[in-house]
Amino acid sequence: MSLFVAAFGFGLVSMSVIAIAAVGFTMQFGITNMINLAYGEVMISSAYVAYYMNRAGVSIWIGMVAGALFGAAFSFLLNRVVYAPFMRKGTANLGMVIVSLAVSLMISNLLLPIVGYYSVSYQEDAGRLIRLGSIILTRDQIIVIGIAVVLMFAIHALLTYTRLGKAMRATAANPTLARNCGIPTQRVIDSVWLITGALCGLAGVVAALNADSFAIANGSAFLITILAAAVLGGAGQPYGAMIGAVLIGLITELSAAAWSPEYKEVVAFGILVIVMVLRPQGLLAKRGALAAAG
Amino acid sequence: MRGFERFKLVAALGALVVLAGCGGGGSTGGSGLGSGPLLVGVIAPFTGADAALGPAYYAACLAAAPSINNNGGVGGRQVSCQKFDTRGEPADAVPAANAMIAGNSNLMAVIGCTSDEASTVVPIIDRAHIPMFCMTGQTEFNKTTSKYFHRLVPADIYDAYAMVGSALYGPGHAPYKRAALVFGNDIGSQAFVAPATNAFTKLGGTIAINQPINLTPGTSYQTEVAAMLATHPDVILTEALGAAGTYLKEVKTQNGGQMIPFIGTSATIDPTWFQQVRDAIGVDDLVKYYGGVDLGYTFSGPAYDEFQTNLNAAASTFADAPKYKQRGSTLHLYDGIIMTALAMTETNSADPTVYNPKIKEIANGSSGATVVGTYKDGVAAIKAGKSIQFVGAGGLNSFDAYNNSVSGYIWVTYDSQGNEVKAGQMTPQQTATIAQAGGI
Repeated sequence: MSLFVAAFGFGLVSMSVIAIAAVGFTMQFGITNMINLAYGEVMISSAYVAYYMNRAGVSIWIGMVAGALFGAAFSFLLNRVVYAPFMRKGTANLGMVIVSLAVSLMISNLLLPIVGYYSVSYQEDAGRLIRLGSIILTRDQIIVIGIAVVLMFAIHALLTYTRLGKAMRATAANPTLARNCGIPTQRVIDSVWLITGALCGLAGVVAALNADSFAIANGSAFLITILAAAVLGGAGQPYGAMIGAVLIGLITELSAAAWSPEYKEVVAFGILVIVMVLRPQGLLAKRGALAAAG
Repeated sequence: MRGFERFKLVAALGALVVLAGCGGGGSTGGSGLGSGPLLVGVIAPFTGADAALGPAYYAACLAAAPSINNNGGVGGRQVSCQKFDTRGEPADAVPAANAMIAGNSNLMAVIGCTSDEASTVVPIIDRAHIPMFCMTGQTEFNKTTSKYFHRLVPADIYDAYAMVGSALYGPGHAPYKRAALVFGNDIGSQAFVAPATNAFTKLGGTIAINQPINLTPGTSYQTEVAAMLATHPDVILTEALGAAGTYLKEVKTQNGGQMIPFIGTSATIDPTWFQQVRDAIGVDDLVKYYGGVDLGYTFSGPAYDEFQTNLNAAASTFADAPKYKQRGSTLHLYDGIIMTALAMTETNSADPTVYNPKIKEIANGSSGATVVGTYKDGVAAIKAGKSIQFVGAGGLNSFDAYNNSVSGYIWVTYDSQGNEVKAGQMTPQQTATIAQAGGI
């Protein structure tokens, strides 16, 4: 029993990491209508930015901020330089997916000679163990959970209470109408790429910190989990992505405690398939991207 | 014969000559070494969970090529190396092997073919009649029917027994009684589990937990480590390439900063693995708690010196090459390529059906054979009309009827710089005891 409680604790950490990444990914899709398959590679690129800063003696927490800034800038440029020109030419959604896949491959292959193929680790003392009954977490893991909680509230506040958030939702619902109503949709979209890019970069560093060591190949592996959480919650729904992250994170760890750990992802994705069969639109999607959850 | 008829006959004969020239690619039908460059294909994982394997083999080829090329090549033909990435997946390995063979008619040998892909690529390479040197320990190759297959390392089963020997009889510790088996869920890593379990339990030990772990990059092993620690093992036997750093750091974290002794397979004698684990748990704990097994190498002598010189020179092509100076597979594959070149020289043939059987003769030697350690010495002896036995940088090879070469194991550790340090050696009696318990 204590193993399951411990696994629940680890699940809280996993879901926090997934939530940060999945919310960024799903917001990107919900507002810009772009399924960005290069998201995982931007994550891992940001993780390496933090790694090199960390190796130079900078605290990983400052590196995390740098990773977020790098992710924001990288994503913004990616959209402006690559995606936006294709979209302006009216490239179909499927075509844009292929473009993002190509970008993903290019990033990983450009990174490979720079960072190498081997795994690296941050030089960070994870801090003392904190025991809450059978739940054993390090200081760093608790900080990661805290960061995720704060960010989720911040995203909620952004979308609900700010002019920018309302403009984002309007742009997501109907960009033409939003533009006609005087909303500067291009600036909104730029903001979305900056914000979601920052989430992406932050998620990359947090995921690498949680995994203890990471390599270039992690980028594509991250993407699969993020896609799963986003789709499970309802594509384009930030709140859905949060729920998807909770389910994927907890199920993955609890199933590792219950059965052979080699099947933990099989169990998590099996449940994803079942949910998709029963509710193809995802758990929360009802009235379109970034609409109020139903 | 009328003029037009004669023209048709000459044209037909001409076409036949041209076609004959095209057929068989670079081979010359068993007579003469031909001309043009020769290629060694390095088919192995260069990406994916086992991406650390391929570079060790590529380094071997980069070191072997100048050893041959600087000494006249193979009958004047220069040798080069090309990577073919299998991603460590059988499904990706098949097209890689097919592309390698279809696109390169000048293949003289293939190296790599790890346990990840050997089952699928060995038949393909064998059908193409290309000699191959595979780094697979799978038992299915113990009595293989593939004539072109060569294995310069023992089957995994011996690696597993050496690990059990280290746990039970290794220096510097009392016999371990409870072992956790933490192996990747890939084909190659799982090959160790059954023989290690058999031998360890029959000799009085207990397998506290057998934990096949998912090697997907980015996986965290928090729950797995909690489950493993709950069984209170006093040693971990492991091969989880790519995941070792993550897993072992988690062990240290959840165990209150204390490591548990861990014994790795010979694949853990690898600079990439060392770096990954050192960065994860710190060099002091790695040196203190790690034990490994390896084949006994001297890392000295003229053959090794030439290997190391060429490996250092290969840094201009592959910066990490010099790191593999003590990697067993790098040494062996280097030897395999040179033996192939010597076999071609001795048979004066670029036809693999002719020179392939000679590889085994050159490795095992015959009565009165001149022992050589370098390509240069080998060619000189062949030109002097002597039969040769090649004992290269990796030491003596002894192929059995199935082209498997078996040699003895040593127990090793690392020093703080990542150099292998011999810690002990199994006695013949210990080896026999474990092999009997394990079922050989």
